[in-house]
Amino acid sequence: MTWELFAVFIGSSVRLAVPLFLAGTGELVSERAGVLNMSIEGMMLTGAFGAAVGAWATGNPAIGLLIGVVAVAPVALLQAVLSNTLRANQIVTGIGINILILGATTLAYREIFGARSREQIPGLAKWSPPLLGDIPVFGEAVFQQVWLFYAGIAIIVLTALVLRYTALGIAIHAAGAEPRAVDKSGVSVTGIRYLGVMFAGFMSALAGAFLSIGDIHTFTEGMTRGAGYLAIAAVIFGKWTLTGTVLACLLFGAATALQFQLPTLGVNIPNAFLIMLPYVLALLAVGGLAGRQTAPRALGEPYIRR
Amino acid sequence: MTDVALSGYRRIREWVRPSVVISISAVVVAGLLGLVLIFAINVSVPDALSAFIDGTVGSPYAIAASINRSIAFALVGIGFVIANRANLINVGGEGQIAVGGIAATAVALYGGVAGLPAGLPFIIPLVAAMVAGVIWGSIAGVLKIKVGTNEVISTLLLSFIAVWLVYWCVQSPALLRKPMTSSATLPESLEIPDPTKLPLLTGDYSFPLNTGLPVTVVIAIVAGLLLARSLFGVQLRAVGFNPIAASRAGISYQRMVMFALAIAGALGGLAGGIMLLGDQYVLKDGFSSGYGFDGLVAGLLARGSVVGVIAAALLFGFLRSGGINMEMVAGVPTALVMVIQGLIVVTLAGAAYFIRQRQ
Amino acid sequence: MQRTTEPLLALQGVTKRFGSLVAVSEASLDIMPGEVHCILGENGAGKSTLCNLIFGVHVPDKGEMRFRGEIYRPTGPSDALVSGIAMVHQHFSLVHDMTVVDNVILGQQRGLVNTRAWVRRLERLANDYGFALDPYAKIDDLSVGERQRVEIIKCLIREPRLFVLDEPTAVLLPDEIAALLDICRRVANGGAAVVLVTHKLAEIKKAADRVTVLRGGRVVARSDRPAEEIDALVRAMIQGDVKSLDKSAASTLGVGEPERVRTTAAPSETPTPEAVQIDGLTVIDNQGVTRLDHFTLAIGPGEIVGVAGVEGNGQSELAAALSGMVEPASGRVFLGDTETTHLSPRQITAAGIGVVPEDRHAVGCVVEMSVAENIFLNRLDAFTRFGFLRRKELIEAAGDLMKRFDVRAAAPEIAFSALSGGNQQKAVLAREITLPKLAFLIAAQPTRGLDVGAVAAVYGHIRAACERGAAVLLISSELDELIAVADRIVVLYRGRIMGNCAADPSERESIGAMMAGQAR
Repeated sequence: MTWELFAVFIGSSVRLAVPLFLAGTGELVSERAGVLNMSIEGMMLTGAFGAAVGAWATGNPAIGLLIGVVAVAPVALLQAVLSNTLRANQIVTGIGINILILGATTLAYREIFGARSREQIPGLAKWSPPLLGDIPVFGEAVFQQVWLFYAGIAIIVLTALVLRYTALGIAIHAAGAEPRAVDKSGVSVTGIRYLGVMFAGFMSALAGAFLSIGDIHTFTEGMTRGAGYLAIAAVIFGKWTLTGTVLACLLFGAATALQFQLPTLGVNIPNAFLIMLPYVLALLAVGGLAGRQTAPRALGEPYIRR
Repeated sequence: MTDVALSGYRRIREWVRPSVVISISAVVVAGLLGLVLIFAINVSVPDALSAFIDGTVGSPYAIAASINRSIAFALVGIGFVIANRANLINVGGEGQIAVGGIAATAVALYGGVAGLPAGLPFIIPLVAAMVAGVIWGSIAGVLKIKVGTNEVISTLLLSFIAVWLVYWCVQSPALLRKPMTSSATLPESLEIPDPTKLPLLTGDYSFPLNTGLPVTVVIAIVAGLLLARSLFGVQLRAVGFNPIAASRAGISYQRMVMFALAIAGALGGLAGGIMLLGDQYVLKDGFSSGYGFDGLVAGLLARGSVVGVIAAALLFGFLRSGGINMEMVAGVPTALVMVIQGLIVVTLAGAAYFIRQRQ
Repeated sequence: MQRTTEPLLALQGVTKRFGSLVAVSEASLDIMPGEVHCILGENGAGKSTLCNLIFGVHVPDKGEMRFRGEIYRPTGPSDALVSGIAMVHQHFSLVHDMTVVDNVILGQQRGLVNTRAWVRRLERLANDYGFALDPYAKIDDLSVGERQRVEIIKCLIREPRLFVLDEPTAVLLPDEIAALLDICRRVANGGAAVVLVTHKLAEIKKAADRVTVLRGGRVVARSDRPAEEIDALVRAMIQGDVKSLDKSAASTLGVGEPERVRTTAAPSETPTPEAVQIDGLTVIDNQGVTRLDHFTLAIGPGEIVGVAGVEGNGQSELAAALSGMVEPASGRVFLGDTETTHLSPRQITAAGIGVVPEDRHAVGCVVEMSVAENIFLNRLDAFTRFGFLRRKELIEAAGDLMKRFDVRAAAPEIAFSALSGGNQQKAVLAREITLPKLAFLIAAQPTRGLDVGAVAAVYGHIRAACERGAAVLLISSELDELIAVADRIVVLYRGRIMGNCAADPSERESIGAMMAGQAR
């Protein structure tokens, strides 16, 4: 395997991992705050659709991105209200929202684009950082990415800092581990959890937008194809730490990249198996490859003041 | 009013529990919203409705097709309800259907069963389908009891894997793909031999109800009795509410979880087997698409009751048939049906809050 | 310090209902600044609910509260905190995997956190009040007493005007109790008011300036000179005379000297064959910490051995290992000739070992199921034929048991959650004591949260089981109860037996010393 091919592999892995770790970061914050957000898949799809339609309608991908984010807001709000205020079963609501969004985006897409199901949509521009982009061989393949990738990294770093060094970070940790402590200290558990869900929605919108206007430059029905669930698996694999989650996402991204890479190397593994690989890896991950799970204690349980 | 009449009235009142009312209301509201959506996409509502009715009850064939769909949903839904009694949420219905379909097709085509007597040609593949489903469900069970893995994510991931397994099977001539006679040969399996197809109840192809129906009815009755009256049902409930206390009382948490997920898997696998042997006869990529979720939603709607599952399964069976016809004739995308289902689930989940307030 | 005549907190006719249960009814009281005000009442009298109303956890259905003269209507703890009211709850609300300092910071500021500054503040405050605290310690690693200190410091760092403590001494060692009462006095001397909720008369005598007595949710007595009026207060609290109380129940309140209820049987030199022998039982938790360290004990038939010690010193692990819920790392347990060390819970029950767990809601019962199902939860298959449960038989049998054990409920079919705590405990006890061949009964904190009537009933049944020949292991952090009921007492500290002695009032001091870690 040549260095060029390896560089391309790294670049693809990173690219394919982007929606995963964007969504994964959002899900991590939500789960740390205590809300299991199964609707990540649906929120990503909404973001993808909103961004695609927005970019197509205005011709400007940046505005498309904005529209994608705005479109996710009501979905995230719905999830937040259902999980926190109405105290519904978080798993059921998540799946229900996913079904609803899948149907709604498919329907809306057919309506807007009709038979032209492969309409080309203006995509986000690429960018590469000054020095890194010039490295021979690796520079272009790895570091020439859509600018959203770099923006995403910045957001993730910011998130890590907030979680570690601010009072909000402490409150988020407490809301997932011992919400009573949060309540009895005068902080609103519901407020923190709403924040977590809305942040997950925001990040999912970015992730979905990356898929449609960053990567493929089109929208296809159900294009997220389980990426949201991979993000959830990544959070588990990463033991609810931000670093772990991002690394897990890179691993899943690499597994997906193999699908395109191995055939070029002449390795003859059935395509179907390679497509399956990220999911198998995710299953192994949640199945204990990473040791016994230590989820936030109050994860998935709505908080009731007693 | 006489005593008898009063007690009858009271029993009806019990049936019209808040949860039943809310389930029905959710369906009605979602349905109305569907009509609104049809109007919004500029399709004539009367046209759509007539296409819908045609697709559901317009002909004996349509009715039978709807009921055949309902069978799959009912089995998955019953599996869901049984597992849910132990507080387990099985989301992998589609995957379990998929592996059931693979096993049934493989055994029917290559298991050498076509020549056997006494119904074995279709019984054995069905059993194989159930076994495949048991295995698929048990993987999630083992992960849960050994490592504590949330069964929602494990059954979901298994589902994705299973769907791609089907794809692999029908793409690969070494597996189940039919021999490629030309470059245009579709990726699917051979048609299963006649003896392995499920016998029709009426022998009439224009009303193709198959033996899958009585099987499902029997399973439903057994499941209902199991949950309501058996020791196993009580033990499932105890484990579902409080696994630690149940453990202390001598009820094995591990065994209950394994049983629950294995049974759910078995029923899902059986659904896949019946779909293949009773209806489709050829294994194709994506044959299980959406059936898992429909069964899941039926299970959720039912709120723990097997009768509820049957009702919901029938509803969705007819809904799907009607939806397909609406698309073919009136141009209403089937995605609309998905929207309605999603709305139902979300409404129900939120409505649980108001039911709890009443209690 | 100037004493104003205006109360700091005044409640007038406050009522709170939960469904059909009236937890607090027409309660009126005032708390003056600079005083230690005790709220006295037995378990179930409404004390915790009253505190929760003051702290804003619940909203009263009727009545009015005034704080510093203004109408006070908190909708949540944040309102109470803003007004200057801080509370230490019975069940701590600390984040287990966070440090002490982070737990204190929670809710106190916004934005970037300067941990070092907080650590300095904490250390200074702890110093002022005379207790040691490691700000960087994780809550998981702290003992119960230490965790309570964190809760207290969380409150004191806010410099509250009103400091409420709900049954704080239940989890403390005798010296820790004295230290806590001292802290209360100092806080009061600083001008704030301290509300101390308790059912222990000794604490009233030591610390209270004024007392309000609750019974059945109502204020039934008040006193400005509580130390002198103890008898009247007790009478108001239990609606009866101390002397009419069962001795074991009296010990719950810590009234006077608990007289011996049983004559001390001379501990036999050689345990008889039917006895229980625990040899070197060791339990190590998931983090590798030894929770129970070579526990060795022999119990004769008909003997009650008490295990004393503050919560968190291995008692839970002891009960869990003996009941088959946790695998011991080493050691053996024998019931007569049978080894029971590695038996499953089912086998343990079959062997004739009954267990009344310390946390009945977590381990003892399934509250969502019916009373009948709970009463027979561990022997439902006795009512099963061909896999089907015979409900009628189950309900009848349950009804009989309920009558025998005075479990008060509308019917055996109703949900277990509808029963009061005392009745729930009686039901669990009924289940375990009526095991077909009960040879060994383990009762862990069996009277926690129960009113005196239920306490008397529980000890009555335990003694009856004893008389029928069962060996009894009574694990309790209520030292007075152990002295009144047990034959002899062993003391657990950090998982090891510190010593054993006769269950005699004269031994109380040495037992207290052992509970604090001083070996005999």
